[in-house]
Amino acid sequence: MFSIATLRREWLSNPRGDILAGIVVALALIPEAIGFSIIAGVDPKVGLYASFSIAVIAALVGGRPGMISAATAAIAVLVVPLIRDHGVEYLFAATILMGVLQMIAGFLRLDLLMQYVSTSVVTGFVNALAILIFTAQLPQLINVTWVTYAMVAAGLAIIYLLPRLTKVVPSPLVAIVVLTVVSIYGGLGVNTVGDMGQLPSSIPYLLIPDVPLTLETLRIIFPYSLTMAIVGLLESMMTAHIVDELTDTPSNKRRECKGQGIANFATGFLGGMGGCAMIGQSVINVKSGGSTRLSTFVAGSFLLFLIVVLGPLVSQIPMPSLVAVMIMVSIGTFSWKSIRNLKTHPWQSSVVMVVTVVVVVWTHDLAQGVLAGVVLSGLFFASKVKSLFTVTSNLSADGACRTYRFSGQVFFASTELFTDAFDFKEVLDRVVIDMSDAHFWDISAIAILDQAVLKFRREGTSVEVVGMNELSAKMVGRFATHDADDPTQRPADH
Amino acid sequence: MKRILACIDASSYASSVCELAAWAATRLSASVEILHIVQRKDAVAARKDLSGAIGLGVKSELLEELTQIDEAEGKLAISDGRVLLAQAEKLLVAGGVSDVSRLHRHGSIVDTIIEREASADLVVIGKRGATSEFDSDHIGSSIESVVRASVKPVLIASRKIQTPNIIIVALDGSSAALKALDFVIASPLFTGMQLHLVAAGPKGTADKSWFVKAYSRVVDRSPSCIIHIADGAPQQVLGDYMSTRRDAILVMGAYGHSALRTLIFGSTTTTVLRTVRAPVLLVR
Repeated sequence: MFSIATLRREWLSNPRGDILAGIVVALALIPEAIGFSIIAGVDPKVGLYASFSIAVIAALVGGRPGMISAATAAIAVLVVPLIRDHGVEYLFAATILMGVLQMIAGFLRLDLLMQYVSTSVVTGFVNALAILIFTAQLPQLINVTWVTYAMVAAGLAIIYLLPRLTKVVPSPLVAIVVLTVVSIYGGLGVNTVGDMGQLPSSIPYLLIPDVPLTLETLRIIFPYSLTMAIVGLLESMMTAHIVDELTDTPSNKRRECKGQGIANFATGFLGGMGGCAMIGQSVINVKSGGSTRLSTFVAGSFLLFLIVVLGPLVSQIPMPSLVAVMIMVSIGTFSWKSIRNLKTHPWQSSVVMVVTVVVVVWTHDLAQGVLAGVVLSGLFFASKVKSLFTVTSNLSADGACRTYRFSGQVFFASTELFTDAFDFKEVLDRVVIDMSDAHFWDISAIAILDQAVLKFRREGTSVEVVGMNELSAKMVGRFATHDADDPTQRPADH
Repeated sequence: MKRILACIDASSYASSVCELAAWAATRLSASVEILHIVQRKDAVAARKDLSGAIGLGVKSELLEELTQIDEAEGKLAISDGRVLLAQAEKLLVAGGVSDVSRLHRHGSIVDTIIEREASADLVVIGKRGATSEFDSDHIGSSIESVVRASVKPVLIASRKIQTPNIIIVALDGSSAALKALDFVIASPLFTGMQLHLVAAGPKGTADKSWFVKAYSRVVDRSPSCIIHIADGAPQQVLGDYMSTRRDAILVMGAYGHSALRTLIFGSTTTTVLRTVRAPVLLVR
């Protein structure tokens, strides 16, 4: 609902907390944006422009106030081969297409698919993300002098120990400033941001990606755009869920889907890489007291201010200090509770979680990990529901008729249980299959019923199926071959 | 049976809301539902931690901490609300209302009132809430939102209430004002009360033909009605007229203009609400 009251609540209900939190978040966005530009193999300005544009646009049109969106690890690791093989212009084109796909997803209400992603898969996703963020820092830590390690350690020490003294200043910022000063005056010879590529010197401007508008281009970028769109939405929906929980306020997931789409669409034209919501930074935002659209907006615009105005200083920032901040983000993103819970949770949940993590770390593709997790949890679920199935039978007094009573769920996984329940070798005149308490879910279930009925008939036994509930009867009526007359015509006995 | 929704909070308006609701309930022979909404301060906004550092298990820790803050405040707010509701019920029963029910809800003020008014015929609410009580020249932040979103007549209680004997209908030529007039004529709430029609407009607007139209509507029902036409800003005219008639209730059509126009030009309704120190019935 668009009204002044809503606008006021979503933008101005908490301006002081939001502006401060936005500034803290902007500082936490810089290392991530630079870090992931480097992973993706593009200039830091691509990631920085993207973070600015995605954060600001998501603040305006997103569905979850207080959630931070920007250029992320999850997307960066996906596009490495695209940039390596085809160049950065294709990345922009892929980002635009990604936005279009996400908008379509919003219109098709694909956010509802998140219902099928279980908690274990979400935990696995989050942990995998943390591992990706951490491993993305490793190139900065290999083949370097001890100075780098010392600086990372010093950075982490400042980040985690300073809040014990004061919580007025963002400790990651202090770490970056202190290490920058040390490296400039100490002449330590470590890598700086400036060594990593071009930094922005102006505000971003509109551009059309320099790619041929052919089917060939579409063929190249479409697979990337699709994966980026899926991964982006997955992380955004999960982050929105976390922010919902932390702030105890509802969000509009459908609007968030479209909002992410619009943000990425526009970002592609501004020369930025694709992005999505960020778990770590969103937690930092809430922790710092941010909860409305204003904090997200401030985060994005302050980021632009920082990089345009303070660009020369930003280029002096030593990489180890950014690595320290990213290690912090990775630690904060990881769900440590899930390690403890491995022992206490049902083994199936733990397997789903671990498989999700392993597949992501293996393929560097969060979408594949989630797919594996979802499929696996579906299988586990089917195997659990399969056991909700019992059969009892009793013989009539004259020994000529046996009644089988089924109860529970009959579907593709119950085939074996179902056929095993019958004793086909018994000599009978008549068999009654009583389905009063059972439900047939799919055509596999109908097929096994068919099979059983036909088998009895071949033994010369007549079969009567009774007590089917309406839905099951409809399925049997449509798909079964054992019975020519329409079973829905027969009165069900309940 | 008609139903009245009486919305109370910890402000001093709660008792006048109850008095007014009791008055209306006895006239309409209606039941009263007393609504108190538990408000929660935003735990997120209350945090003063700008360290921006996130460490081991930060998500669950943060959730726990925010829950604890909210929980402590929530428990207090709930027990306070229970006391308020019990007091209000006592007042209403003393005021002669036989059918009183209490309703205690969590949520946003505006949304909850709008949700509950669906089953009510009249909403009674105080001019200001507990958060803006000190500021006697302003109206509470929720009132305008409630009235704008509401489809039911809203009776706004002032701090002190005298049993209303006079009914003043403010006319400005708008269709909203005529609608309010129609409501007054039709509703049993005002039977037997003396009707005053007050029209105001900027100087020189001589054409008061719409006033004749309004008068023709009431003349059959209430031939003894008193008419007052004055030049000047509506809030001034109404304020002056009502200051000498303490036992009056003002009825007007509310918020004829869009929220955007109001944002720029201000709203007559809001201004009148601010200046008049008597109960006001807003008819949408």
